[in-house]
Amino acid sequence: MSELKLADGSPQLSGSAETWRSGPAESRVPAALIPPTEGTIVSRLRAWKARHLLREQRARDFFASSRHPERGLPVAPRSAVIGFVKGLLGSRRALVVGVLLLNAAAAVAGLVVPRLLGALVDAVSGTGSVTATLNGLALAVAGVVLVQALMTFLARWISAVFGQDILASAREYVVRTVLGLPLGRVESASSGDLVTRVTRDVGTMSESVRYGLPEALIAAVTTVLTVVAMFLNSALLALPLVVVAPLLIISVRRYLLRAPMGYITEGGTYSQINTTLTETVEGARTVEALGLQRSRIERSDEDIAVSAQAERYTMALRNLLFAVIDLAYNSPLVLTLILGGYGYLNGWVTLGQITAATLYIQAVIEPLDRLIQNVDRLQVGIASTTRLLGIASVPQDREAGDELPRGDQIVAEDLRFAYREGHDVLHGVDLVLEPGERLAVVGPSGSGKSTLGRLLSGINGPRTGSVTVGNVDLTALPLDVLRTQVALVTQEHHVFVGTIRDNIVLARESSPDSTVIEALQAVDAWDWVQRLPERLDTMLGSGNLNLTPAQAQQIALARLVVADPHTLVLDEATSLIDPRTARHLEGSMAALLEGRAVVAIAHRLHTAHDADRIAVVIDGRIAELGSHDELVAANGEYARLWRAWTS
Amino acid sequence: MHDFPPVVPDFQPSSSSADTARRRSSTRNFADPDTRSASRFLRWMLRQQASVLIASSFIALIQFLPGSIGPYLVGRAVDDGITPRNLSAVIDWSLILLGIIVLGAAAGVIRHSLIVRSWLVAMYGLTKLVTRKTTQMGHIQPQRIPTGEIISVSSSDSDQFGAISEVLTRAVGAGIAYLLVAGIILNTSVQLGVVVLIAAPLLVLFALPLLKPLERRQALERSTSSALTSMATDIVAGLRILRGIGGERTFARNYEVQSQTVRRSGVAAGTWQAAVDATGVLFAGLFLVTLTWLGARQVAAGDLTVGQLISFFGYALFMVWPIQTFFELAQKWVRCLVSARKTIAVLGQQPPWREPATPLQLPAGATIRDLETGFVGEPGLLTIVVSAVPDDSAALADRLGRYLPTETDPISLNIDERIKGKRARAERARQAEALARLVARDQAVTDRQWGVEVGPVDLADSAIQDVRRHILVSDTAGLVFAGTLQTAIDPHGQLSREQAEQALHTAAAEDVFEAMPGGWQGTIDERGRGLSGGQRQRLMLARAIAVDPQILVLVEPTSAVDAHTEALIAQRLTAHRAGRTTIVMSVSPLLLHYADRVALMSGGRVVDQGTHEELLERNPDYRQVVVRGMEEVVDV
Repeated sequence: MSELKLADGSPQLSGSAETWRSGPAESRVPAALIPPTEGTIVSRLRAWKARHLLREQRARDFFASSRHPERGLPVAPRSAVIGFVKGLLGSRRALVVGVLLLNAAAAVAGLVVPRLLGALVDAVSGTGSVTATLNGLALAVAGVVLVQALMTFLARWISAVFGQDILASAREYVVRTVLGLPLGRVESASSGDLVTRVTRDVGTMSESVRYGLPEALIAAVTTVLTVVAMFLNSALLALPLVVVAPLLIISVRRYLLRAPMGYITEGGTYSQINTTLTETVEGARTVEALGLQRSRIERSDEDIAVSAQAERYTMALRNLLFAVIDLAYNSPLVLTLILGGYGYLNGWVTLGQITAATLYIQAVIEPLDRLIQNVDRLQVGIASTTRLLGIASVPQDREAGDELPRGDQIVAEDLRFAYREGHDVLHGVDLVLEPGERLAVVGPSGSGKSTLGRLLSGINGPRTGSVTVGNVDLTALPLDVLRTQVALVTQEHHVFVGTIRDNIVLARESSPDSTVIEALQAVDAWDWVQRLPERLDTMLGSGNLNLTPAQAQQIALARLVVADPHTLVLDEATSLIDPRTARHLEGSMAALLEGRAVVAIAHRLHTAHDADRIAVVIDGRIAELGSHDELVAANGEYARLWRAWTS
Repeated sequence: MHDFPPVVPDFQPSSSSADTARRRSSTRNFADPDTRSASRFLRWMLRQQASVLIASSFIALIQFLPGSIGPYLVGRAVDDGITPRNLSAVIDWSLILLGIIVLGAAAGVIRHSLIVRSWLVAMYGLTKLVTRKTTQMGHIQPQRIPTGEIISVSSSDSDQFGAISEVLTRAVGAGIAYLLVAGIILNTSVQLGVVVLIAAPLLVLFALPLLKPLERRQALERSTSSALTSMATDIVAGLRILRGIGGERTFARNYEVQSQTVRRSGVAAGTWQAAVDATGVLFAGLFLVTLTWLGARQVAAGDLTVGQLISFFGYALFMVWPIQTFFELAQKWVRCLVSARKTIAVLGQQPPWREPATPLQLPAGATIRDLETGFVGEPGLLTIVVSAVPDDSAALADRLGRYLPTETDPISLNIDERIKGKRARAERARQAEALARLVARDQAVTDRQWGVEVGPVDLADSAIQDVRRHILVSDTAGLVFAGTLQTAIDPHGQLSREQAEQALHTAAAEDVFEAMPGGWQGTIDERGRGLSGGQRQRLMLARAIAVDPQILVLVEPTSAVDAHTEALIAQRLTAHRAGRTTIVMSVSPLLLHYADRVALMSGGRVVDQGTHEELLERNPDYRQVVVRGMEEVVDV
């Protein structure tokens, strides 16, 4: 066996020496975050402050990098969220007004009760009044309580209706934008970032829209009205609130400025913990085979140590907040008592007013607390929403013209393409694909054959040169036209959650059942589909009927039969399937390919053997092009490989 | 006192006697969790941080002082100060109140720190335990319990154990505060005191019947909403198809239909929540009215002072809350037991490996022989196993490496939320039995001789770690872990740069290096996401080659690689492993050319052996399996 000169045999890798790291990896928890074990109280406090500031910086950094992921989709500015929410609220004015009015009514009813109780106290303490007055007042309070309960019910109910309605619109909007992402972007981006956005970010947004928004509204209305009621009861006795308000505002503001970054960082550390554990569990056998137990444990422990630092930061933020607000909530009671005593001495206030004031002060704590909590939640929600709206800000990668192709011939001229600027993977490829022709593309990994397939199917536009079908640029075709001209078939045969019909009609969504059935017949799948009790209405996808790999592949092929493009680009289409499946599918495959031009990006040489022409792609250029016999006779790369395969 | 994250010891690689384990647990925290039953485990978990819990309970009491005895102080200020117009008495009582408020705020901060601490000790501790158990059990763990459930023990059940420690200490503090206030009010007025003590629990009890339907609707909302999330994930997973072939309208519509279902179930749950809230307002309001009315009559009769009446308003607000806390504790405890049941299923697994009394070393440079299939791998040679049924050769690879066969699915421990009572118990019993059967089967297999020998030594007579070091099986389900390219090739951190480059070269994976910004320090995402199937496969091959084991077993190492690259790998691998025992499961002619020996499997037995050329010549079955690649025409 002779040495194959397909690639440079030397193991020289540029940049290897510069990037190889010897010695243990740096810990992800810097030493500066480990507290000192000795020292005076002052020096320890100073060290704690330094750690706290460092943790704050880490939260800021994490937040910044999560805003602008290296390889992910963009993030919208906060102003976009305001516009988005305005739009959602604007189309529901009546509902918003209803929410505000009913909540105000519930709050007002609640605020009448302490006033009546105060009147009751005045009644008994004043003249030792008659039982009739007492009974009357008590009944009045009972009546108000009933109204308050009813209003509370209506207010909460309409808030739920409002929150759910807004949320449904928001998430449907997000999914529509995902479904409108530009084709080239979808094919190149890893789906991880997008998955995180439609799951975790939609979840966070839901939390804040469903609970945060209505609760914050309710709490704000209640708080404001309670303060108003206090002033109506007695301006003097309301003064203590005014005194503590600045204290409250300063510490809450301080907290709210930092908390969202802290919580987002914390959430990030937990997903890291989960990611690592998921790998450890799913790769349990790999861990065992390679003896990686210790390194997995250390990695997980380090994730936890990082997470503990994030937790310490938010814990400190909360402690700083709690220390102040606990005092701010409760100390007005003390001041009210003293002011009340002084005012009563001078005849400015009655006992009843003092009673009402103490009740109001206790009543304002709860909505105020809820307001702070929910503003917190809203902020985290806004951060997620900016990521969701970011999906919509991806620019479209093509502008469809109105020219339609005249003919089925695909012509590629001088194709160059780079994923990273300055790193072309194709260096001027020219190719003419005749209608009905079978072309196999072979070549080593990284030679650019997959990229060529993507350009030929119009997924990406070339950096220079052009790919045309019937004299029209592929990227100038509207998507629904492009799909009926060329289709790229990859290894993926994803089965969607949906009916069999939904899974097949994709390219022509208004196809009648007869088209679907014909397609299923063409790929030999109608046999098993018609035996299903619900036939085309059978639900597929996770949690529903589970298909065998061969059936899933048949569904994928039937989609293409419905799309009916005149040219197919097959990328390793059968390489990852079980050989038994491949054999079973040959008939289905043949039916699909019948009468179409096919570009097969081949892993296996037998695919190449029977093609009309074979293109050998090496280093971004077509090195050889011709029929099997011609290439074998030319005695080049292909011939060498063929001999290795068959000898 | 314990701080977070807790220090958690490793589990021993093979099961040792339980007695020594128990003895150790008294001296070391987080060692040997008690997995005998769910409630024992829960108590064990709480014991791990007993001192924090006790401290936090007492501090809770101080934290609740403003709420519990605050009303009393306000009442005294009114009676002793305001009513008799004695300002200095008002100030005295107010300052006492202020003192208690400051004390309460300080206690609040301390308790919050303690709570976070115990919550995280429980949560991080459990995550560490699950990680350690998984690495101890290795490939057997996901065969017994579905991976999703193992992960959810760490990600969601652990949170329950954190929450229980908070509720528990709050309930203890609230209980003491309740008794304190009960004493005060009975002292003030027996009639009003009795009303408060009876009405407060009743208020909570009356609200309970409404909670059941609320929970049902919330459960429905959760399940429709999680179905919606899977639809979104599904759309993203198939987005290439939806944008490439079409179907955006259909799936946008499907999503919208489900989204509206979620909206409706959310409104239903919200309506019940509104009813529960309104009922709470109603009951609490009526309670206050009754109390005031009774109190006012007593004031009018001269049996009660105005200040005492005002105090009662405060007590009425406070006393409902300890009762709610007790109910919360009961609910949390039940939920925690459910979590504990899942947790002990994970942590209670023991490795089936029985440490031989006198473990034998596997001899270097010896023949490896499988008695069941008749396979023989000669020392220092490259043997390729060809089988028409890929599962057969994969099973042989597992036998050669002493991996237990996967015959059944793992046992799910989830129970439908709607099943209750006797049926739920029966279901749990059935699950426990099925799991026990799996364990017994594994044990039966590992207690016997294994039937694969290296030289004269059966694999069962050697320590399992020794087998793993000696024989490396790289299977098709292997994983590329997140990290840098360097750690992907050299996870142990033991290679020189030249060795790593050599491994990369042998696996023909230089293009991965070149495509990676940052070279060796380039980032690899979890499970190698972002790399192509072929790149992942070659990284795993390079990683296996770099380990340089005595016996290397590769299952379909080039199935996702194109013919050019496969030819390179075949040639380089052979040169690299020259003189070392290498066994490859493959039907690729490009690899078979290089084999020193080829074994043909059929019906689970090795039926023919020889060189590639010999077998091609004399065995028509062999030709049919191997030459398929050359003759078969996929109609292109």
